[in-house]
Amino acid sequence: MSSQVRVLLIDDEVVFLDSMSKVLRARGYHVGVARSGSEGLLELGAREYDVVVLDQRMPGMDGVTTLDQIRKTHPILPIIMLSGHAQMATAVEAMNHGAVDYLLKPAVVDKLSERIRTAVEKKTLLERLPR
Amino acid sequence: MGPRRWTHRLFGREWWRPVEIRKDSRASLSLDYLTFKELTTSNDELLEIIADIERKLEGGTPFGMAYLRHRTVGCATHTYRMIICLDKLSSRRYQELHLVFTSMQKRLEAILDRTRLATAGTPRLVYSLTDIDGSVAAQVGGKSANAGELRNRVGLPVPDGFAVSTDAFAAFLAHQRLGDGLRDRQMNLEPGDRESLNDISQLAQQRIMSSDLPSQLAEAVLAGYDHLSRTLGYEPRVSMRSSAVGEDGEMSFAGQYTSVLNVDRAGLLDAYKAVVASLYSPQAVFYRSVHGIPDEDLPMGALCMTMVDAIASGVACSVDPNRPTAHTMLVGGAWGLGVGPVGGSVSPDTWVVSRTGTPTILTSRLGWKEVRIDPLADSGVAPVVVPPEERDRLCLSDAQVRELAGMLLKIESHYQCPQEIEWALDREGRFVLLQARPLRIAAEESESTVPDSEIDGHPLLLTGVAASRGCGSGVVYRFAEGDDLEAFPDGGVLVARNSSPQFVKIMERASAIVTDIGATTGHMASLAREFGVPAVLDTRIATKTLTEGLVVTVDANGGGVYSGRVERLLASSRAVERRSVLGTPIHAILREAADVIVPLTLTDPRSPRFRPGECRSFHDIARFIHEKAFEEMFRMSDRVTSVTQKATRLDERLPYLVYLIDIGGGLRRAQSPCVRLEDIRSEPMRALLKGMMHPDLRWWEPRPISISGFLAVATESMLAPGAGDGQRRLGDRSYAIVAEAYCNFSSRVGYHFGAVDAYCSELRSRNYVSFRFKGGAADDGRRARRCELIGEILKRLDFQIEWNGDLVNARLLKFPRDVTLRRLDQVGRLIVATRQLDMRLGPGSPIAWYADAFLDGNYLFEPSGSQAGSGPAPASREA
Repeated sequence: MSSQVRVLLIDDEVVFLDSMSKVLRARGYHVGVARSGSEGLLELGAREYDVVVLDQRMPGMDGVTTLDQIRKTHPILPIIMLSGHAQMATAVEAMNHGAVDYLLKPAVVDKLSERIRTAVEKKTLLERLPR
Repeated sequence: MGPRRWTHRLFGREWWRPVEIRKDSRASLSLDYLTFKELTTSNDELLEIIADIERKLEGGTPFGMAYLRHRTVGCATHTYRMIICLDKLSSRRYQELHLVFTSMQKRLEAILDRTRLATAGTPRLVYSLTDIDGSVAAQVGGKSANAGELRNRVGLPVPDGFAVSTDAFAAFLAHQRLGDGLRDRQMNLEPGDRESLNDISQLAQQRIMSSDLPSQLAEAVLAGYDHLSRTLGYEPRVSMRSSAVGEDGEMSFAGQYTSVLNVDRAGLLDAYKAVVASLYSPQAVFYRSVHGIPDEDLPMGALCMTMVDAIASGVACSVDPNRPTAHTMLVGGAWGLGVGPVGGSVSPDTWVVSRTGTPTILTSRLGWKEVRIDPLADSGVAPVVVPPEERDRLCLSDAQVRELAGMLLKIESHYQCPQEIEWALDREGRFVLLQARPLRIAAEESESTVPDSEIDGHPLLLTGVAASRGCGSGVVYRFAEGDDLEAFPDGGVLVARNSSPQFVKIMERASAIVTDIGATTGHMASLAREFGVPAVLDTRIATKTLTEGLVVTVDANGGGVYSGRVERLLASSRAVERRSVLGTPIHAILREAADVIVPLTLTDPRSPRFRPGECRSFHDIARFIHEKAFEEMFRMSDRVTSVTQKATRLDERLPYLVYLIDIGGGLRRAQSPCVRLEDIRSEPMRALLKGMMHPDLRWWEPRPISISGFLAVATESMLAPGAGDGQRRLGDRSYAIVAEAYCNFSSRVGYHFGAVDAYCSELRSRNYVSFRFKGGAADDGRRARRCELIGEILKRLDFQIEWNGDLVNARLLKFPRDVTLRRLDQVGRLIVATRQLDMRLGPGSPIAWYADAFLDGNYLFEPSGSQAGSGPAPASREA
C-alpha cells in the first residue's frame, strides 16, 4: 500500500463528488470517483483502493446492493456508507451488510476523515490476520 | 511444600525464557483496541446527541422534523455500532442486546412515521367546491374547507371553484421521489441557521417548480377547470390559493403561503406548483418551526376559485383583535383586489362597527390608497395608481359596511368564535367571501391611550394605527424592498414602507415594527399579534422620519413613536414573552422519541437488573455496553498466553518482569527484545511505570512483616484452591499492551491480580483510568483491608470506587491529560507500595493512617521519623 490513502467516492450527486473529492484531496488523500454503483465496481476492478465512501441512495444499483457486490470481490475493503436520507432501518441494514460506518449527509469532513483513517487502520490489521 | 516448589511459587517456572506471541495475535489485539476506541467514540457521540435532545426538550429552541430524524438516526447508528463493537470484543456474549435494540428501533420508527402522508387507496385528487364543507378539512386543507362551509352550510356567496386535494399533493411528492429529495435537502438544515434556511428553501422551491406533475394529477386539475368552465359557460380566470391542513385554523399562517391570481388554463399547473413550493419559503419554514409544527410532508391542498372583478376588497374582523371587550367589529377595505390591503401595500379605509344590536358605524378612518392592485389583461396582477379623487373617498358606503358586518356576525355565529374574513365587492355591488378563519385576539387587553406630544423629555416623532399592542424600544433598522433581513439586529425596531408578512422572519428578534402603510386587519398585523411584537402601522412618514441607528420607543397602545428610550412607557408595558415550542405537536413527537432514547435507568452495574433485558432506552444500552467493554478490555491480556512472536521485555528495575506488546505507536523500538523506560512512547504506560519505579518505594528493601500476617499468608497459600495455578504465583510475568495513548497493564503477581486500563490524550472526554485489584495471599480479613486501603487512597485521588470483598474497582473519567497522567503515576506507586501490605494489615489497622502515609510519600508506611524496617504502631502492636 502506498503511503497516500486511496479513497473511492461513489455517489450519483455530482456536486457532492466534486466538493468532497476536492476537500479530501486537500487533506492528502488520493481520491477516485464513480457516479453509480456499477461504475464503482468497475473502478475497483481496475485500481486498488483502501476505503470506499458509498452513497446509500442511488438510482439503479443502490448503496446496499453495491456494498454486497463489493464484498464479494473485496471482503475486507472498508466501506463507509453515507446517506442524505435519515432512516434508522437503512443505517442498521448498512451496518449489518458490513459497512464499517454510517454517516449522515451533510458529512462533516473532519468526522469523515477520522472515520477513513480508522477504517484504513483496521484494514491494515485485518490483512495481517490469517484467513 | 518442598523448597523447589517454593522457588517456583516465588519466581515462576522458566521466567528467563522469552515470551512468544503469534504475529496474528498482535494484529488481533490491535483490532480489539481499535474496536474499543470505536465503541467509546460512538458512546461519546451518542451522549452528545442525548444532551442536545435534552436541551431541545426544554422548549426554548424551535426545531423541525429534519432535526428529529437526524438526531434519532444518529442515536440509533451509534447505539447499534456499540452493539457490533461489543459483539466483536466479547465474542457475541450479549446477543440479547440485538433484540432489545430492534424493539426500540421499531418504536422510534412508528413515532416518527406518524407525520408521513399516507398514500394508500385510490386518491381523490380534485373536489368541486359544491362538495366541500368543514368535514373534509383533512382532504382539502383549511382554506378550501372553510370556503365550502361558508358556501354550502352558511349559505353565503363564495366564488365557484374546486379544490386540489392533499392526496394530490401526496401523489406529487411520491412522483419521481420528489418528497424524498425535499426531505434530504431539509436534512441539511440546522435549527436556527438562517443562512442555510434561505439556501435550502430556494433549492427546494426550484426543485418543485422544475418537477413534472404526475400525468394523472395534471389531467385531474385541468378537468376540474374544464368542468368549472362548462358550469359558467366561459373560460374563467382563476386564483390558485394555498390550502394547507392546519392553515386558517388555530394558527393563521397569515400570508405565509402563496396565492397566484388571475391565472388562465395554460398557467394552471405552474400556479399549482407555485402554491406547493411556497410550503418551503424561508418564512413559512420559520413560521412552522417557531410554532412547533412538524414540517415534513405537511399536507398542502390548493383552492382554485374564479377571479372576482373587484371594485374593492379587504379584511373584516368580527371582534377588534386589540380590544376584544369593546364590543366592536373592524372592517378594512381598499380599491381593487384584496392583495393590496391584505398584503400590506395599501393602508385600507377602516370602520369600527358596534356589535350590540343592529350594526352601527362608530368611526371611520380614511386609508392611504395611492395604488390599487388590478388584474392584467393576459395574466397576473399589477399596481395601478388611484386617481386623486378616489383616494380621498371611502371605498364602501355605510350601507355596504353594515351589510358586511351582518355577514360577519352570521359567520361568527356559525363557527361560534370570533372570525376574520376576506371579502370582495364586485362591479354589480355584490359581496363575495374569499375565506374565513378564526381570529386571533390579544391574550391580555392593554389600555388604549392617546399619545402625548412628549414624555419625560422624549418628543413624539410620529403617530399611526396601533395594530399589535405593547411597547418596545430599540435601534431603528430601515428595510427597503429587496434588502436582506438577515442583517436585522436583535432587539431592533423594524421600519418599513409596507407591512409585509415576510417580516415574520425577524419577529422573534424585533422589539417593535413601524410602517408607513398597513392596517390592523392585514396579514402582518395578525402575525405581529401572534408573536407579541408591538406594531404601529399606517404612519405614512416612518421611513422619512426615522433614520437608521436612531433609538426610539414604540408605544403600540397609543400608536406613537418617541425619540430615545422612554423608561416610563416600557416599565408600564408587559414584557413580550419568548415563544416556546413546549406543548406543540413537534415537541410532543420529540418527547415521545426522547422516551426511547434519553432515560438512564441502568445505573448500578452490581445490581441484578444490570442486564440487556432491563435496558429501557438507547442510553441504557450504551451504559450497559460501556461497562461490559471495560470488562472485556481488562481481559485483553488473558489472550497473550497464545502468542508466538517475541514480546518486548522491559529492562528496568521493577518487582515484576514486564513484557510489552505494542499494538500501535506504543514503543520506539517495537522489534527490540528489550526496551528501557525512555523507549516507551505510550504516555499512560510511561506514567504508570514512572510511578512504579519511584525511588522512594524502595521495594527491594526488606519489609517488616508481622508474625501473624506471615502465618496467615503461609496458611492461605497452602489451603487456597488453585494454589497451583501458574498465573497466581509470585514472580510471574506481567503484560502490558500499549499504544500511543493507551495501556493495558495486568500484574498477576503473587496471589493478587492488579490491572490498569487507561487511555490518555488531549481529548479530555475520552480519557479514563480503570484500575482493578483483587486477591492476596493473606486471609480474607487482611485482603479486604488492603482493598479498603487501596480504595480509600484512590477515592482521595478522585477515582470512583466500588468494593466487593477483596475486589476493588476504581475508575477515573474525563480528566484532563496532565491530571490523568499524574493519577496514573500515583496508581503505579500504589501498586508497588501495597504489594505485600495485606500481611501487615491486621484487625484494627488504621486505614486512614495508611492512606495519609501513602499520600504523604511515606511508601514504606513508617511511623514518622522512624527508619525503614520498623512498621507503624498498629502493625507492631499486632506483632
